[in-house]
Amino acid sequence: MRRPSLKHLAPEQLSECILGQPDPWIARHLKECPACRTELEQFREALFAFRGVVRDWSENQAGAALAVHSRPTQSRSWIASHQLAFALLLAAVCVLASLVWHGGQKTPASDSLLLNQVDAQVSRTVPSSMEPLMKLVVQE
Amino acid sequence: MELSATSELERAIRSDVAVVANFEALVRLYRPKVFRFALASLRDLDAAETVTQDCFLRAYQASSSFRRDCSMQTWLMQIAVNLIRDHSRNRRFQFWRRARLTAKPVDVAGHGIADQGRSPETLALLKEQVAAIWEAAGRLPERQRTVFLLRFVEDMDLLEIACATGMKEGTVKTHLFRALRAVRERLGGTA
Repeated sequence: MRRPSLKHLAPEQLSECILGQPDPWIARHLKECPACRTELEQFREALFAFRGVVRDWSENQAGAALAVHSRPTQSRSWIASHQLAFALLLAAVCVLASLVWHGGQKTPASDSLLLNQVDAQVSRTVPSSMEPLMKLVVQE
Repeated sequence: MELSATSELERAIRSDVAVVANFEALVRLYRPKVFRFALASLRDLDAAETVTQDCFLRAYQASSSFRRDCSMQTWLMQIAVNLIRDHSRNRRFQFWRRARLTAKPVDVAGHGIADQGRSPETLALLKEQVAAIWEAAGRLPERQRTVFLLRFVEDMDLLEIACATGMKEGTVKTHLFRALRAVRERLGGTA
């Protein structure tokens, strides 16, 4: 049995007040004791502020989550709509690179070398193995 | 006014034979509450969203078996409590939870404290107390945290909490007493 002669309320008794089910003598004590009343009011106020803060924070987080979730959707749709253009651009770059590589560097060098060789072969009147003999003939 | 509108909608949902038909209204009405409770319990945005979605999915699947021995809100909270419990027992989640507890705490105290003519000192003290309650709540054992949040964030009474958690009313009260003691100890007599 609790003794009403206690100087101040114990934490459990304050908790009973917080939960809204205090014994009648606790309620009486609160009326008479400003220290306990102040302590209870401060604790109540802190719990009330805690509720407000958690609710506000939760709303903010929900808003932030919505923003985060809507962003990837936008970028996905942007990628989807530009996918074809990107593929075409890539193909064009490949074709251009191939033209530059084959047309600009390799082909003229190898072709001119080949053509020179052909010219040399065609301009010969005798096979290359007989060329020294031909020189002798001319000198005579 | 808002309360009567809420209970009216709840009554409409209850009286409807096919709860599924009113499911969208139910989600609109209770989603913020379920999400808030999940977020405050798990303190992880992704986990809270997952739990909220799972909660309504399970509610949809089990809507025909809703026994109506408690309110729709309590029934949804019951599902949420079970999902949160399962989620918090997940080893990977426990690891990240421990990591978060040792890292910089979430700054909730910056939100929602109205000035209301308080002096800067009082406001600063109140923010400090809210931060202390938040930290203390995060360190409470699972059941104590659940009943604490249901009581002091969701404003549910002991009977509703008992229904949502599957505990007896006396057990809920015991957990609440312990939670309040831990919170007051964390406040260190500032309250």
